Amino acid sequence: MAITRRVFIRNSGLAVVGTAAVPSFLTRAAFGAPDPGRRSKRLVIIFQRGAADGLNIVVPHSEPAYYAMRPSINIPRTSVLDLDGMFGLHPALAPLMPLWKQRHLAMVHAAGSPDPTRSHFDAQDFMESGTPGLKTTYDGWLNRSLHSLPKSGQVSAFRAIALGPSLPRILSGSEPAIAVNNLSDFGLGGKNSPAATTFEAMYASSSDSILHGTGQETFEAMKMLKAADPAKYKPAAGAEYPRGRFGDSLRQLAQLIKANLGVQVAFADIGGWDHHVNEGNTQGQLANVLRDFASGLAALWIDLGDLAEDTVVVTMSEFGRTARENGNRGTDHGHANAMFIMGGPVKGGRVYGHWPGLGQSQLYEGRDLAVTTDFRRVLGEAVYQHLGNRALEQVFPGFDESSNGFLRYLG
Amino acid sequence: MPSDASQRAIYRAQLERYEKKKQKKDSGVVETTGRQSPDNDSDREALLDLPPDQRMGEFLKLSPEQQRSFLGNGKSERVEGFLQGLDPKQRETVMAIENPQQVVTSELIQARLLRAIYSQRQLEEVMTDFWLNHFNVFIGKGADRYLLTSYERDVIRPHALGKFEDLLVATARSPAMLFYLDNWMSVGTDSDFANGVREHVGRRGRHLRVRVNPAKGGKGKRHGLNENYGRELMELHTLGVNGGYTQKDVTEVARVFTGWTLKKPREGGSFTFDARMHERGEKKVLGHRIKENGEKEGLEILHILARHPSTAKFISTKLAVRFVSDDPPAALVQRMSETFLKKNGDIREVLKTMLASPEFWSSESYRAKVKTPLEFVVSSVRGCGAEVTDAAPLARQLQNLGMPLYGMQPPTGYSSKADAWVNSAALLGRMNFALAFSAGKVKGIQIEAENGPADSQDALAMLQNKLSLGNISQQTHDTILTQLQNVNRQKASDNGHEAQVIEGLLLGSPEFQRR
Repeated sequence: MAITRRVFIRNSGLAVVGTAAVPSFLTRAAFGAPDPGRRSKRLVIIFQRGAADGLNIVVPHSEPAYYAMRPSINIPRTSVLDLDGMFGLHPALAPLMPLWKQRHLAMVHAAGSPDPTRSHFDAQDFMESGTPGLKTTYDGWLNRSLHSLPKSGQVSAFRAIALGPSLPRILSGSEPAIAVNNLSDFGLGGKNSPAATTFEAMYASSSDSILHGTGQETFEAMKMLKAADPAKYKPAAGAEYPRGRFGDSLRQLAQLIKANLGVQVAFADIGGWDHHVNEGNTQGQLANVLRDFASGLAALWIDLGDLAEDTVVVTMSEFGRTARENGNRGTDHGHANAMFIMGGPVKGGRVYGHWPGLGQSQLYEGRDLAVTTDFRRVLGEAVYQHLGNRALEQVFPGFDESSNGFLRYLG
Repeated sequence: MPSDASQRAIYRAQLERYEKKKQKKDSGVVETTGRQSPDNDSDREALLDLPPDQRMGEFLKLSPEQQRSFLGNGKSERVEGFLQGLDPKQRETVMAIENPQQVVTSELIQARLLRAIYSQRQLEEVMTDFWLNHFNVFIGKGADRYLLTSYERDVIRPHALGKFEDLLVATARSPAMLFYLDNWMSVGTDSDFANGVREHVGRRGRHLRVRVNPAKGGKGKRHGLNENYGRELMELHTLGVNGGYTQKDVTEVARVFTGWTLKKPREGGSFTFDARMHERGEKKVLGHRIKENGEKEGLEILHILARHPSTAKFISTKLAVRFVSDDPPAALVQRMSETFLKKNGDIREVLKTMLASPEFWSSESYRAKVKTPLEFVVSSVRGCGAEVTDAAPLARQLQNLGMPLYGMQPPTGYSSKADAWVNSAALLGRMNFALAFSAGKVKGIQIEAENGPADSQDALAMLQNKLSLGNISQQTHDTILTQLQNVNRQKASDNGHEAQVIEGLLLGSPEFQRR
C-alpha cells in the first residue's frame, strides 16, 4: 500500500508537539485556529458547465454496450487508464493518476439530479440551488451550507468566494460571498487613491438595496487582501497550472487559501463540455478540455501542500450525455454523470455509487445513463462530515435523506 | 504584388505566414530570420513618437517579422498604443498584418459599440441588442466569426421592430444559427442520405429511387440527427423552458428541421434545403400532425411556435424584464402577451402596450434596473460627451467587465437581471473603469476636460445633470464634496481636474449603476 500523506498524519498526528519536523499544518492547528478542536475545513466545488460526457471521462470499459453504442468516439480498452477492472479514466486525465494511487481521489459514477430536464440552464440552476425541480429557491446551496454552520468569531470577507467575473447562483444568498476575477485587479485606483475612500463611503451609506451590501463586502475584502498580499504566494514547485481561465482560477484560489484569508467554501467553473459535434475520443475536443481539467486539479493539489489535508474538492456537471453517439460524432444531452472527489480526508482509490448498466432496458428513457446516486447525497456528505454542518435539511430542503445514506467516501 | 504600400504589406505578411505554416508542417521546425526588429525601447519610442502618417509609413517598411515583434507579438496593449491616431483604413491594415482572422470580428464589435453610442435610433438599437441576445450566436464558434456580420445586418436588425414570426424564420434559416446550433449537419435517420438513396428521378409524376451504398457522409460527420437546435428553438427562442413541450417534441422538431442546411458552410455558405437529408414521414409536434412536406414542415412548426401563448408570455416577460424591472408586474406581462397574440406577434405593438402602461411609468419602475456592463459603458461615454476615435479599447473594457459583445458561449445569452451583474469583482471593475475613463486613460477615447464652475458644489450639480443622474443621494453628494475639499487643500484648485474627479466619482457611484 502506498504511503500517503493522510496515513502519515493518522499515524503521527497526535504526538507531534515538540517534534522538530512538525508539518506546518499541525502547528497551525495547534496555535492558530480559534477552535483548537477543529482545523479550518474547506470545500471547493468545481462546476463543469455544458454537460461533461461522464461516459468518456470515467469509462465503463468492461461494458461491451459502451463500445457498441459509441462506434467512433469510444475510448479503446487499450487506452483507458484502468482504475478497478471495470472503469478507467480517459487518458487525458493522466495527471490525476498519482492522486488516485495515493488514494486521495475518488469518483462517484451514475450520479446526478432526479429532475428530468435536459436544459443546460435549468439543470445548472437546480444543481446550484440544490432544489431540483423547484425554481423559486432564491439562494444557492453552497451559500446555505455556511448559513446553518456555527460561526466562530469574526467572519472573513473571503469565507465564500467564487473565482470568475460574476457571483454564481450556487453562492448567492444571505451569507456574504464575493467574486474574484483577477487578484491583481482587486484594488481601486492605485495606491492610496482618495477615490477608494470616497467610493467606500458612498456605498456604505447608500440606501440601494442591492448595491449597498455588495459594496461593503467588496471594500472589506479589498482591505484584507491588501494586508495579506496573496501575490507573494507563488505556485509550489511542480504545481503547473494550465494556461487559461480554469488554471488561473485555481492558481488564485490556492493563493487565497495559502494567504490564510479564511476561505471556507470556494467555487470555480470550467466550460467547453457541450460536444454535440466531433467530440473526439482519446484525442480531440473532449480530450483537450480534460487535459486542462486534470492538470488544473493536479496543480491545485500539489500547490496546496499541507493545506490539502483540510480541503475537499468535489466536481459536478449539470447532466451527462447520451449513451449513444449522435449523427455528428458527438453526444446530445443526457442524464447521469460522474463526479470527482479529491482531498486529504477522502477515502480515495475507489469508484463509488451503484452502476446501473448500459443495457437498453437499463438506460434512462431508453437513451441515457440512469441516475443511481442523487448529487445531493454526495455533496451532503461533504457539507455534513467535512464542513461539519449538521443541518442538512436547510442546505438541501426537500431532500429527506439522513446521513445514513452517505457513500462514506469521507470515512 | 499590389503596388499600394499597405496592400503590399498585408500580402507580404500573409505569404510569410503561409510559408511558415508550410515549413512547420513539412519539417516541424520554424526558422526565424536573422534580422531583428527595432527591439530596443528607444527605437520603438522613436517610432511611436512620429505623427500617425509617418509612423504608419515607417511601420510598412519593416519586414513582417519586425512588424510582429514591434507590435509585441499580439499584445493588445502594445497594438492599441500603436494604433492611436491612425485612421480607420490604417488601423485595418495593421490589424490585417497582425491578426488577419480578427479583422472581421473586431470591426463588427466596434461597429456595434459605435452604434450603441451614437445611433439616433436608440430604440431600434436596444431592440437589436435584445434580439441578438435572445437569438444568441457565439462569435467564437468556428465559421460564426464570419457569419455574424450578416446575421446582425440581414437577419436581426431588419426585424427588430417587425413581426416575431418573420424574425424567427429569418434566424432559423440564417447560416449563423444553423452553424451555431449544429442544425446544418443534422440528418434524418430515415432519409435518403442515411438510406443510401442517391437521388430522386422524377418520371411522369413518379419518383424513382436509385439505391447506392449507404452514405458514408462527408468525412463521416453527417449521418444522423442532432437535437441541439430543436431543443433551443423551443426552450430559448419561443416557448420557454416551462412552455409545455416534452423530450419527444424536441426529437420530433429536430426531425422536422433535418435538411435545413448550408452550402459550403466554411466558405460563408448560404441556406439551402437538402431534401436528401430530410427525415421522411409524418411528424407529431405539440399535438399537431405535421404531414410530410419537405422544407414547409419547418415553416409550419415555426408558425405554430410563433403564435403559441407560451411564446407570447415568454417574450413579453423577457421584454418587461429588459425594460421595466427584474420582477415585472404580472398584469403588465399579461396585457403584453394579449397584444402579442392579438397582433400576430407584432413587436412594435407589444412595445407600445408596454410603453403606454401605468406600470412602465410607475415610481416602482423608476431606476429599478441595474445597468448591464454594456449599458454602463455606453452610458458613461454618452453621459460624458466623450468622442470615440477607436472603439476597440472600449470593447476590451467591456470584455473585462464580463460582457464581451457576441461573446456568450452558451445559447442562453446574457442575463439582464441585477443578480448576474452585481458582485464584488464587477463593482470594482466598474469603479476602476469610471476612474480610468474620466481621467482619459482609456485609449481611443477623447474626453474634454470641462471648465466648469469654480465652485465645487456648482460643478457637481452641473455634472450630475449632464450624466442624467436626477437626484443623487445626500450621502453621495456629501462624500464627493468631502473628497474635493481634501484634494483642494493639497493642490491649487484646477477646475478641469476637479471636473474630472467629480465625473469619475459619479460614474462609479451607486446611482449611476442604475437606469
